[in-house]
Formats: sequence, structure tokens, C-alpha cells
Amino acid sequence: MTASITRRLLLGAAMALGLAGAAAAEYPDRPITLVIPFAAGGSTDVVGRIVAERMSQELGQQVIVQNVGGAGGSLGAAQVAKADPDGYTILMATVATHALNPLILKQKPYDPVADFAPVSLLVLVPNVLAVNPELPVNTVQELIDLAKAEPLAYASSGNGTPLHLSGELFKAMAGVDITHIPYKGSGPALTDVLGNQVPIIFDNLPSASGHIASGKLRALGVTTAERAPSFPDIPAIAETLPGYETYTWNALFAPAGTPPEAVEALNKAALAAMADPAVAERMKEFSATIVASSPEELAEHVKAEMAKWEPVVRDANVSLD
Amino acid sequence: MSAKPKDTTDIVAGLSMMAAAAFFGWHTAGLEIGTSLRMGPGYFPMVLSGLLFVLGLIILLRSFGREDDEPFGKVAWRGLLFILPAPIFFGLTVRGLGFVPALFFTTLIASQASMRMRPLAALILAVAVTILSTLIFSYGLGLPFRRFGPWLGM
Amino acid sequence: MELFSNLALGFSVASSLENLAFCLIGVLLGTLIGVLPGIGATATIAMLLPITFQLEPVSSLIMLAGIYYGAQYGGSTTAILINMPGESSSAVTAIDGYQMARKGKAGTALALAALGSFFAGSVSTFLVALFAPPLTAVALKFGAAEYFSLMVLGLVMSVALAHGSVLKALAMVVLGLLLGMVGTDIYTGAPRFTLGITQFADGLNFVAVAVGVFGIAEILRNLEDEHDRQVMTKNINRLFPTREELRQMIGPVLRGTGIGSILGILPGGGAILASFASYTIEKKVSRHPEEFGKGALAGVAGPESANNAGAQTSFIPLLTLGIPANPVMALMIGAMIIQGIVPGPNVVSEQPALFWGIVASMWIGNLMLVVLNLPLIGLWVKLLSVPYYVLFPIIMAMCSIGVYSVNSNSYDLFAVAFFGLLGYVMSKLRCEPAPLLLGFVLGPLLEENLRRAMILSRGDPTTFLTRPISATLLVMSLIVLVLVFMPQIRKRRDEVFTESDA
Repeated sequence: MTASITRRLLLGAAMALGLAGAAAAEYPDRPITLVIPFAAGGSTDVVGRIVAERMSQELGQQVIVQNVGGAGGSLGAAQVAKADPDGYTILMATVATHALNPLILKQKPYDPVADFAPVSLLVLVPNVLAVNPELPVNTVQELIDLAKAEPLAYASSGNGTPLHLSGELFKAMAGVDITHIPYKGSGPALTDVLGNQVPIIFDNLPSASGHIASGKLRALGVTTAERAPSFPDIPAIAETLPGYETYTWNALFAPAGTPPEAVEALNKAALAAMADPAVAERMKEFSATIVASSPEELAEHVKAEMAKWEPVVRDANVSLD
Repeated sequence: MSAKPKDTTDIVAGLSMMAAAAFFGWHTAGLEIGTSLRMGPGYFPMVLSGLLFVLGLIILLRSFGREDDEPFGKVAWRGLLFILPAPIFFGLTVRGLGFVPALFFTTLIASQASMRMRPLAALILAVAVTILSTLIFSYGLGLPFRRFGPWLGM
Repeated sequence: MELFSNLALGFSVASSLENLAFCLIGVLLGTLIGVLPGIGATATIAMLLPITFQLEPVSSLIMLAGIYYGAQYGGSTTAILINMPGESSSAVTAIDGYQMARKGKAGTALALAALGSFFAGSVSTFLVALFAPPLTAVALKFGAAEYFSLMVLGLVMSVALAHGSVLKALAMVVLGLLLGMVGTDIYTGAPRFTLGITQFADGLNFVAVAVGVFGIAEILRNLEDEHDRQVMTKNINRLFPTREELRQMIGPVLRGTGIGSILGILPGGGAILASFASYTIEKKVSRHPEEFGKGALAGVAGPESANNAGAQTSFIPLLTLGIPANPVMALMIGAMIIQGIVPGPNVVSEQPALFWGIVASMWIGNLMLVVLNLPLIGLWVKLLSVPYYVLFPIIMAMCSIGVYSVNSNSYDLFAVAFFGLLGYVMSKLRCEPAPLLLGFVLGPLLEENLRRAMILSRGDPTTFLTRPISATLLVMSLIVLVLVFMPQIRKRRDEVFTESDA
């Protein structure tokens, strides 16, 4: 046991001191900064840190996580868009930074297509529609019927977030009106739904999963087209509202103009990281589906997402200055 | 002594608060006020600006007819001149120059705020602070700052 | 009894050599980083978070928890020694703690803070062990209307934070509330008072405001006249409190522990009020309210205990519900997920070793803190004998790093300079910073909950009176208001007190 303490301490110290791996002759020959455009501790941060750790081993250089939170991810994304395109600054992007914010923001701090070189779409994370168990509904259809009969409200992690827009898309497709109550993040929103201050919530599946498993929340449906492998019992909302599909995704981007060799090296490292069984296990616990795409597939994905969300954003009349 | 005693400090305080209230009130103008039942983003700030204005006015009015018990005193001009720019300098240069040079100059600038600080002592202090902080924060805690930034051509 | 078997399990986990070591490393690192000016608990945890990823889940959370209360502890030390609070809670400690330090009683203030925190930490850890699940049920009864009324009570009490003009204190609270509005409106997404700067879209950084109006303003005051003004008394006679001082702190510590434990449970920001509320109460019950703001013992002992008790009980919603009560707890949730633990109500039943291990380690960690820090007091006090012109450039360097490290946002540093100037101007105008800071932290909560309550009640303002908890809190606010604004009543009350004492 003593040996294991020593080993762990040494490992921790080595990580902290940035001594991981020997320097290679070509790219990368110094540590890479992975900008996470949200505060530490959130789901994007978790995915980013797991991937960064494994990519460090692949690249032989440390991938250092830097949290640049603020303005729904726009600050961090804008920082990477303006960074030197040398492959040493990369971004952990999400549906918010590369589809929703560019549609919502009146002043656009960056262009999600022109300012970035896609590296890889890493994972898709389902969202979930859940209710407090005291609300007398068990299915999506019952919720729609109830919403037509009496006024209801739903909580989300904030205005213009993927969860808010999942709710707005749901309202539009189901033809109901449910009052949106925004919170500052998922945690406070969950608290009020658990306490039945607000009956309904749209949340990330990973953040709600503990409460669903314990029965404190009743999950009505996941937002992906198919059921989530981690919760096969929860139907997809699309089973009631055909065509309904939203999810949160995480992808790596470098600034536009990054040398193709660097993008290729990063893509290779990312794919290797996602293929690691330990990482796959972590992602499964996290209810995330691994995609590990090529740069070209990611570019297509961004275009498809922007096309999908554009009418939702317009109809929901969401805009931020 | 002047015939009408007045508390100069409170006159300035009252006027400053009214100015601050006016600033916030003016910026509230572009925001939707809404109603008490369905408040817009401008509702709460508007009420608060109004309240601050009234409080400033009362402080102003009450300052007449009273002696200033503790006048202004000296102003730390030298301190203002060197202390306040120090964090601004760090913010402007930490990304470009990198952590090490940015911190060195920040400490050097701040140390000039005291007239007791001699040039050599300031230099030694700045070097010591920079070395220790780099060891603690950059190497010890692995904070993601670049030690030497792109402006230095490194 | 189940409690004892649970606690036994917890202590067996927490007292393994490995976990003891990580707990020690956690409190030590937390104290050392937290003591650096401008670096509070949130910044410390964010900095040290990656180091814990390599560890076992239990060890990692034990170490993180240790960092958290260690950092809070270190933050109070900085608040007392150089008037530089890194968290809203230590802003209150700074009011009287720093004045004690200037009178040469830094050692006493630090010892009071250490002992008070230890007592509060022990009691509230026990509360966590005993009542965690039922307390959670209470916390969930707090909706938007209740939080609004609680914040109103907090604001009304805040006037007592000032030792000068009540009118100016009120104005400062209102100015603080307005500064708290800066940023994106969460209901409509409209930017408010950001002057078009995207970097302020999430509001002004608390540390920038606190470091500016307290710490930097104080440095500037000290630089006004370097020749005649001595920052610290040179004759520091003794380090530890006398028996009489220890006796005086019993009441404040007990009350502070009670207030802190209750407020800490509320996940929607109750802990923020803990130290402010304790200060107000101590000032009200004190027979020498005029000493407050000039170095009152109770003004340090009460809030420090309340703060630490709140810090411990804010683990309750985290551990029993998986709900973060503050940004630090949000970081801990992230750490749990990275470790493959799904935060939620099932943690207690599925991972009893983890849950009880953390609870037990909290007590052990508090013990370590007091044992570590009592001897360190001598060292901290010696630090004050460093010439001021050497000390303050170091302070400036540290707070630049600390403020920048949280979000890598240069605008936070510009805000430090701005609020330093504002704080200095305020001190020239004899306006106090503590009410401003309270307004700043409460403003967003007040507005958010008011508007949410109104939406949820569909525009019916009676919701604040028909909900029993909310109505009770509002009645309490009214009582406090009457006590503050009717000096006749206060005078009569004081007479009653004197008579009953005689």
C-alpha cells in the first residue's frame, strides 16, 4: 500500500510539474493548451479532462486544460478563434459554441465555420425530459395532454442553452405552451424540480441520471432519435413526436489556418484516446455516445446542426446581444 | 469660520451617489421595464437607481448645517499612480509577454508606489517574487500560463 | 445504533494512512494557497483540482474537501492580516479582524478564528452525520419566494454592518445591488451595464470587487502618508487569547455555529448570509456595539464560526442530493463525475464508505487545521513585521495572479483596478465597503428569485405571504427593521437589558 501511495504521489507530482513524456522532434514539441469554454466541473469540463489526459499520452506532450468560462462559451471559443494557428491552442467546442451561440448572438464574436479548423467530433450526449414524480404524468403523451389542459412551467440551465432550445423545440412540435423558467446552470434548476417548485426539467442526461436512477425524478423521454444505451428503459421523445432530436455534443477544433499535419496529429491522438477501453468505459458511465469522427465529418456536422437549429432559434425568438 | 457650517465630505458623497444613480438610470433606459407582475430586465435596476438617487439627495441635504468632523486628509497620488496600473499591466501583457516577464514588471510597477523603495531593492524584490511565483504557480500547481509569450518571439 | 456503525465505518475509511495523508496534504495546500492574497477557496480548488484526478475517489474527495476548508481558513488569515478577503464570508472577518491586527492583536484574532472555526466545524460535522437526510427535506421546501424573503432579511440586517451613518450604509447596499446586476439578464438574455464588453457578460468577478474595495483601497490609504503613519503597531504583546477573551468568545461562537449550520443547508445561497447574519446578531446582542468595526472580539469569533459551520453543512445538499450549493461544490460534483461516481441521492446508500468517509474526514481535517495553524500564528504575525513597502508589491503580484487564474480573463484585472479606485474614493467619503459587498452578492439572488417567484405564481404577489416560510422570514425582516430604525425602541430595550443584568 505504501508503494501505491508513493507511486500515486509521484504520478501526481509529475503531472503537476509537466514532466509527462519526452519532447518529440516535430509537432508537438511543447505542451498544448486545450481551452474549455466553461467553468471547471461542468460536463464539458469532465469530457475535456478525460480526453486531455489520454491525448497527452498519445502526443508525448502534455495537453493542459485551461478553463475560459463566460458568455455561454463564447469567450473561450473567441479566444481560440484568435489564437495563433500553430496547433498549440485547441478548443473543446459544444453545440452551444458552434451552433447555438452563432445563431443567437446579435454581435458575433467569431464565425464557427470560417474561424476554425475542425479536428474531431468526439461524443454525443443525450438530454432528457424529466418531471417531479408528483406530477401525474408517466409518458410524453400524457404530459402533452396535461400541458394543453393547464398551465405548466419547465426549468432549464439558462436562456439560449441547448436545454432551453430542446424545450422550445418540444413545445413547437407538440403544439403546447409551457412557461420557461431559466436558472444559472443545471444544479439550481435540478434543485427546484426535486423540491417540486417547478414540475418539469430539460437537463443533460449525465447530470440528471443519479436522480432518475433513485426515483427522485421521473424521466419521460430522452432527446436523441434512439434510446440511450445507458438507460434503455427511457423511451425517446421521437417515439411520440417523430423527428424530434436534440443532443449536446463535444468536438475538438483548432484555429483556422492550423497546419494540416498538426490537425492530423491531433485527430489521430483524439481517435486513439476515444478508442481506449478505459475512456470508453468512462464515457458510457457518462451516458455519452462516442463518435470520434474525421475532420471532414465534423465540418459537415456543424453545417447540419446550424441548419437544424436556425428555424428553432427563429421561432422561439431567442436572441442575445 | 464660515457662517453656514457644512459637511464637505457628505456633500461630495451625496453628489457622487446621485451621479452613480444617474449613470445606472441612464443605462436602464434602453432596457425593457415590464410590469410589477411580469418584470423586464430594466425593472429592478430602475427601482434601485431611483432609490440610490433619493438616498444621495438626502445625504446631500443633511450635510448642510453640520460641521465636517473628519476632513478629507491627504490623497495617495503616488499610490494611485503606481498601484492601480499594476494589475492592468498584468492583464494586458500576461498573454503576450508571458507569465514571467508580465509578473516581473507588475511587481516592479507596484513597488514604485512607495517612496521608501530604492531602485535596487525594487529590482531584487521583483526578481524574487517572479522566481518564487513561477515555481509555485507554474511548476508547482501547473497553472496553464505560458511562461514566455509570443511577443518575445519564443 | 446505526449512526455509530456508520461513523465507525467513516472513521475507518478516513483514518487509513493513505487518506490521512491526503487529508493533510489537502488542508495544508488549501491553507497555503488560500492565504495568498486575492486567492479564495474557489480559485484554490480550481487550481488544485487536476492534481486530485489521479487518486482513488474517496481520497480525491477527502483531499478536495480538505483544500476547501483549508482555503477558507487561509482566506480568513489574509483578511485579518492585510484586509484582503478572497471570499464573501471572509469580508466580514476583515472588518474587525483587521482592526484587531492594527492594534497589535493579530495573534489573538487568528487564534479566535482558529478555535471558533474548529468548534463550529466539529459541531456541524456532527450535524451532518446525524441529520443529513431530514435536513435535505427542509432545504427542498425553499423555493423562489422563500429565497427572496431570506435575502430581504439579509439585506435589512446588513445595515448593522456599518459603524458609521446608517443612511450611507443603505446607499452602499443599493450601489452594491446595482453592481450585482451587471451582466446578462438570465430571463431575457439582455446585457445590462456591461458597456458592450462581452467579458462582463457573466457579471463582475466577486474577487475583483472584494480585493479592490477592501484590499487595494487599504494599501492606498496606508500609502497616504508613509512618514507619520504606521500601518501596524510594533508592540505585539502576546499571541494567544487570555482566559477572559476565551470566555467572551463562547456566546458568539455558539450563536455563529447555529446560524451557520442552518443557513449552510440551503443550496440556493444561504451560506453567503451566514457570516453577515452572525455579525449583525453579535452587534445587536453586544453590550458594547460601539466596539464593532474597531476590533471587537465577537465580530471575529461569531462570523468565523458561522462561516465554517456553513461550509461544513453546505456538504449536505451535495452529498445527499448531488446538488451544488456554491461554485466550490460544483467543482466537487465535477470531481465526482470524473471519478465515475454519479452524484445524487443514491451516494449515501450505494457508497456508504465514501459518504461516511468524507464526513469523518471533515472532522479530522478540522482537527488538523487547528493543530497546524495555532503554531503558524506566530509565523503569520511575524509576517507583519516585514516593512510595508516590501509587503504591498508582493500583495499586488499575488492578487494579479489569483484573480487571473480563475477564468483567464484580463478584464477581471481591469475591474480590480477600477474597484480599488472606487474603494479608495469611498473611504475618503467615509462610506464603508462591507454593505456594498453584501449588496453585490445578494443583488442577483434577490432579483432572480423575485422574478422567478412572480412567474411561478403567475403574477400574484401574495405568494410571498401565503407561503408560511416566506411569510415568517418577511415578518422577521419587519421586526429587524423596526429595531434598527426606531432608536427609541432600541434605547428602551437597552435599558431593559441593563436592568435585568443588575
